[in-house]
Amino acid sequence: MMSKLTGAERQSALLICIAVLLAGVAMAALGHGDLMGAQGWVVIAYCALMLWFIMPTIGDPEPTEDRSASYYDDPTKAGIIIGMIWAVIGMGMGVWVAAMLAWPELRFDGAWSSFGRLRPVHTSGVIFGFGGNILIATSYHVMQRTCRARMPGQLSPWFVLMGYNLFCVVAASGYVMGVTQSKEYAEPEWYADIWLVVVWVTYFVLYLRTLARRNEPHIYVANWYYMAFILVVAMLHIINNLAVPASWTGAKSYSAFSGVQDAMTQWWYGHNAVAFFLTAGFLGMLYYFLPKRAERPIYSYRLSILSFWGITFFYMWAGSHHLHYTALPQWVQTLGMTFSVMLLVPSWASAGNALMTLNGAWHKVRDDATLRFMMVAAVFYGLSTFEGSFMAIRPVNGLSHYTDWTIGHVHAGAMGWVALISFGSIYALAPLLWRKTGMYSAKAVEWHFWLALAGTIIYVFAMWNSGIIQGLMWRTYNETGTLEYSFLDSLIAMHPYYIARTFGGLLFLIGACIGLWNVVMTVRRAPRQQPERDYPTSSEASEPALPAAE
Amino acid sequence: MSVKERDPLTGHQTTGHEWDGITELNTPVPRAVWFFIIVTHIWALIAWILLPTWPLLTTYTKGLLGVDQQEQVEEAVVAANAQRADWATQIDHLPPQEVLANGDLSRRVAETGHQLFGDNCAGCHGTNAQGGPGFPSLTDAAWLWGGDFGNIMETLRVGINSDHPETRFGQMMAFGREGILSRDEVRVVADYVQSLSGEDISATRREHGAQIFADNCASCHGDSGIGDASLGAPNLTDDFWIYGGSDKALFTTIFGGRQGWMPAWENRLGLTERKILALYLMQLGQQRDAQVAVK
Amino acid sequence: MLKDLLKPFARFFNFQARTHYKAERHSIALALGIIGAASIGGIVEIAPLFTIDSTVEAAPDMRVYTPLEQAGRDIYIREGCYACHSQMIRTLRDEVERYGPYSLAAESQYDHPMLWGSKRTGPDLARLGGKYSDDWQVRHLIDPRDLVPESVMPSYAFLQDAPLETDSLPGRLAALRAVGVPYTDDQIANASHDAIGQAMPDSTAAGGVTERYGEATNLRLFDGSNARVTEMDALVAYLQILGQLTQLPYEIEPKAEE
Ligand code: HEC
Ligand code: HEC
Ligand code: HEC
Ligand code: HEM
Ligand code: HEM
Ligand SMILES: [Ca+2]
Ligand SMILES: [Ca+2]
Ligand SMILES: [Cu+2]
Repeated sequence: MMSKLTGAERQSALLICIAVLLAGVAMAALGHGDLMGAQGWVVIAYCALMLWFIMPTIGDPEPTEDRSASYYDDPTKAGIIIGMIWAVIGMGMGVWVAAMLAWPELRFDGAWSSFGRLRPVHTSGVIFGFGGNILIATSYHVMQRTCRARMPGQLSPWFVLMGYNLFCVVAASGYVMGVTQSKEYAEPEWYADIWLVVVWVTYFVLYLRTLARRNEPHIYVANWYYMAFILVVAMLHIINNLAVPASWTGAKSYSAFSGVQDAMTQWWYGHNAVAFFLTAGFLGMLYYFLPKRAERPIYSYRLSILSFWGITFFYMWAGSHHLHYTALPQWVQTLGMTFSVMLLVPSWASAGNALMTLNGAWHKVRDDATLRFMMVAAVFYGLSTFEGSFMAIRPVNGLSHYTDWTIGHVHAGAMGWVALISFGSIYALAPLLWRKTGMYSAKAVEWHFWLALAGTIIYVFAMWNSGIIQGLMWRTYNETGTLEYSFLDSLIAMHPYYIARTFGGLLFLIGACIGLWNVVMTVRRAPRQQPERDYPTSSEASEPALPAAE
Repeated sequence: MSVKERDPLTGHQTTGHEWDGITELNTPVPRAVWFFIIVTHIWALIAWILLPTWPLLTTYTKGLLGVDQQEQVEEAVVAANAQRADWATQIDHLPPQEVLANGDLSRRVAETGHQLFGDNCAGCHGTNAQGGPGFPSLTDAAWLWGGDFGNIMETLRVGINSDHPETRFGQMMAFGREGILSRDEVRVVADYVQSLSGEDISATRREHGAQIFADNCASCHGDSGIGDASLGAPNLTDDFWIYGGSDKALFTTIFGGRQGWMPAWENRLGLTERKILALYLMQLGQQRDAQVAVK
Repeated sequence: MLKDLLKPFARFFNFQARTHYKAERHSIALALGIIGAASIGGIVEIAPLFTIDSTVEAAPDMRVYTPLEQAGRDIYIREGCYACHSQMIRTLRDEVERYGPYSLAAESQYDHPMLWGSKRTGPDLARLGGKYSDDWQVRHLIDPRDLVPESVMPSYAFLQDAPLETDSLPGRLAALRAVGVPYTDDQIANASHDAIGQAMPDSTAAGGVTERYGEATNLRLFDGSNARVTEMDALVAYLQILGQLTQLPYEIEPKAEE
């Protein structure tokens, strides 16, 4: 893979690696005795691994290929494999923490293996490790194809991908050691947060520069979504992570905000991490891979506009639905509730747009598991957004908040939508990237689909049940007019559902393992095939007149 | 594909673009979408008018309903208390035996006591009030401070060795650690304590133990070891143990001393709630007596 | 009728679609549009929380965490207790009846970050302080199932063996002051000392604690041992202060008991 880089690019990569390595050495030395020191060693190890890839190629001859004649897919390939590895790690952690709630002794008496420390390894592992890598990888693919242009450089895509993974590794290893800011989905400490800003700005510049090179007058919808993902995540990340470190040589920092302002900022972030990390980017994926696989035109361009701007605008108001009935002033809660409900229409519009696109291709959905992944993902997207808007209504949230109902909702979205659309996209993408006839095993894709679907359904139904039972038990009054159950009664009632959830999660995990295996085997064993046309071409589009409404 | 095409299936035109083989139809936004946009927006508008919603610089719009979540919950609690008042006042004012004899009130105590006990006491005394290592069972006949209604109420109010100014204070000295008794003497008196609840020991050991007991322990636990509820000193002749009656447990108790800690509930639970709990414990006691009687 | 009603919307949207059609050719216009659309919600909802006075109630008796309690809070965060425990009693009747007076914004005004939580695998802890003995807390953290057989809480036995790191406490308090917690120079300078003093009431270090943090401060052998100050000491000291930083919530509790 390195051989495609020019000598200058390889040298720059080397320099960047050494610079980061030195930062790691500084962390290890200055942070000695603090967890920061241990994190320094993680950085050093990561950079050493990178150097191990780069060093042997430093003296290689300059590449001879004509860059303008092809897309640059090496980082995409790497991103997909890394993403699938994270999927197995993150979901494996999910199964483990799920099992710990059913059988709490299921750990090796270490400090590192308690539920509280491993849970964020699961959430970050799946959201950032799996989701983030697949988002970055597919965004490289989609922006090049829909711009008919190769990315501007070869170094910055690698920097973004590997720099991002450094963030993920530092984050996950940190949680296990006990490094966390406790802000959900923003747990990494200040130095990791700063590093992510550097990576993210590079990512945005890369995106803009690719768009600037495009051979197509219009920017395709998928790119709007990827762009919203990049931009808004940057805004959210920077503001929610504002903090003052207790020491420049220590890991600990304190959030700039406190109490109610901190709560609002956190859930403005948290909700929109859902919206722009777990939704916008994946909608970009849906908008490219679904019509491509179905070979059908997008159902409605106008609906795309409506849902894109609806999502971008309304989502940002909805965060306060995580704080109903709390010490957050009620006026903010009303805003959160009403905007969440208004948000439903654009959300369903995008799910509907995807499903209507399948009109004329339903026989393919039946026969092709890859397309079925995407179709079911769109259905779960519609389902979880409907559920979300419902749960955002204050009295409903009064019941669901703090319970497993939220967890069920999360996983309808996260497994049913995020993971399924990712798997579908990967299966559509891998053969093309590696120039293969198809996935190594179509049967394995089929198996993965059913395992994932069964796993999701079992998980979500278990959590709906346990969540609603829990919520009701907490507020059930007996005839006397006093509370019927103690908290412990509700805890005991959860046990069977926690076992069922673990089982569902296990099915889902097995599916993901099969997926990883299938991708690796596709790379290694599937027969080769050159695609008909997969290189930058100049657009034949002349600017048509403004489209009139029909 | 610069020319707009018509999709044969739907009959709609494309926008005239093609991205890597993907085209878009220019289908108008379906009517249903507009309809739901209008419905949700009208709903939101109504909510904005009725409820506190829009921030102004230093205040916010209060809404026509003038609701406030804190007032609402306070009203709900007051209303709930008013609704419970008919039976709650009876529990407050009737003597405990009458409450327990009254079927209706007794049922209410049982129903309410379950949750109150589960959320506040079960952590120490166990879900079924049978105690655990270091925490006395509340269902047996053995009481440190007396098991009648008044004593239980007082224990609940001030706690034991708690930070309440009037707390009940009970301490068992660390006879071994403080050097009052040698290790051997501790073992002997432990054996003697076991013999009080019926275990066989040699006569010489009993004699020796009795002597140590009379010198050191009887001041609290009484000459015959039946305890003293005014000091919280438990009866050592029955077979109920807080910390266990094995050799090892007794050695630990006598060597290192004991000072159990029970929180004061005066500031945490209301008077009625405490009464319900005390009555609830008495109910558990009655159930136990009934079971014993059956046997 | 519906059609007529929709007409102005449709016309407006048609206009918007045309504008959009032009704008989507310019990546910068698109980026600015996204930033604009996405900024409004946050500004309207977050900024006024700093300017509307009634957002955070005035609680004159509100006190800051002592260094030991703050160290315990940092351990609470490190261990991820917030993943299972909320510290926010909502304004709902059942929560008030189960856990105590509803939480006020004032109570977490020195909490950087707040730990309101989003999941109750275990019970709410907002009113935990004083509910159990130190000894209970220690035993429960060492082995929750020893005391509550049904519990699914992890055991944290290692806290009892981990000496508390106190050298960094002045830096921590200084950072907290930088974000708005009113620690004095004196409190910051003596933070390490005070942490030890609070957990060793018989030591000479203890005197300064009451002087700097008030007579009501808990000075105890939280972990039951005089040998050294452990992470268990700190965590239990923190747990015992939950809900006790101000008495305001108890004062405004509706007094319609009897
Ligand atoms: C922190 C743990 C703890 C909690 C919580 C607790 N207790 Fe106790 N309780 C104790 C201990 C320890 C003792 C015994 C004290 C002693 O050993 O002297 C005790 C003793 C008692 C006694 C006196 C028993 C006797 O033999 O005289 C009563 C009655 C009692 N508890 C009832 C309750 C009730 C009712 C609740 C809930 C409202 C409760 N306790 C909550 C720890 C606790
Ligand atoms: C100052 C009064 C006092 C003296 C003297 C005293 N005890 Fe105690 N003893 C207590 C109290 C109070 C308790 C209950 C402590 C608790 O529950 O935490 C107790 C508890 C015990 C227990 C535990 C009972 C159980 O159920 O587990 C034993 C055994 C015991 N004492 C034996 C002795 C012996 C033997 C001596 C003399 C060597 C002695 N005590 C002297 C006050 C005293
Ligand atoms: C896996 C989830 C989980 C984690 C993580 C967890 N707990 Fe718990 N916790 C529970 C459950 C379940 C209960 C109720 C059963 C019990 O009392 O053990 C509980 C109960 C408690 C209680 C008793 C509360 C009461 O009012 O009865 C305290 C105190 C507590 N936990 C503190 C902590 C602290 C401190 C941490 C972190 C160091 C922590 N917990 C981590 C699940 C958890
Ligand atoms: C193998 C499948 C999975 C299993 C077994 C699993 C299990 C779990 C468990 C046990 C929790 C903690 C719930 C609690 O605290 O009560 C959790 C939380 C979470 N998981 Fe998963 N999970 C899986 C897949 C995923 C995937 C694929 C994603 C995202 C792409 C995801 C995202 C999350 C998130 C965001 C949370 C936090 C929810 C919240 O705080 O409300 N999970 N998961
Ligand atoms: C219209 C869209 C949506 C709305 C209005 C919505 C609303 C909500 C609500 C009300 C909650 C519960 C908050 C609480 O009580 O604490 C929630 C939690 C959550 N939702 Fe959604 N949701 C939507 C879509 C999604 C999607 C598509 C995902 C995809 C993965 C998702 C992921 C999550 C997560 C991870 C949480 C848990 C946050 C936490 O407490 O840690 N949501 N959502
Ligand atoms: Ca962070
Ligand atoms: Ca959560
Ligand atoms: Cu949300």
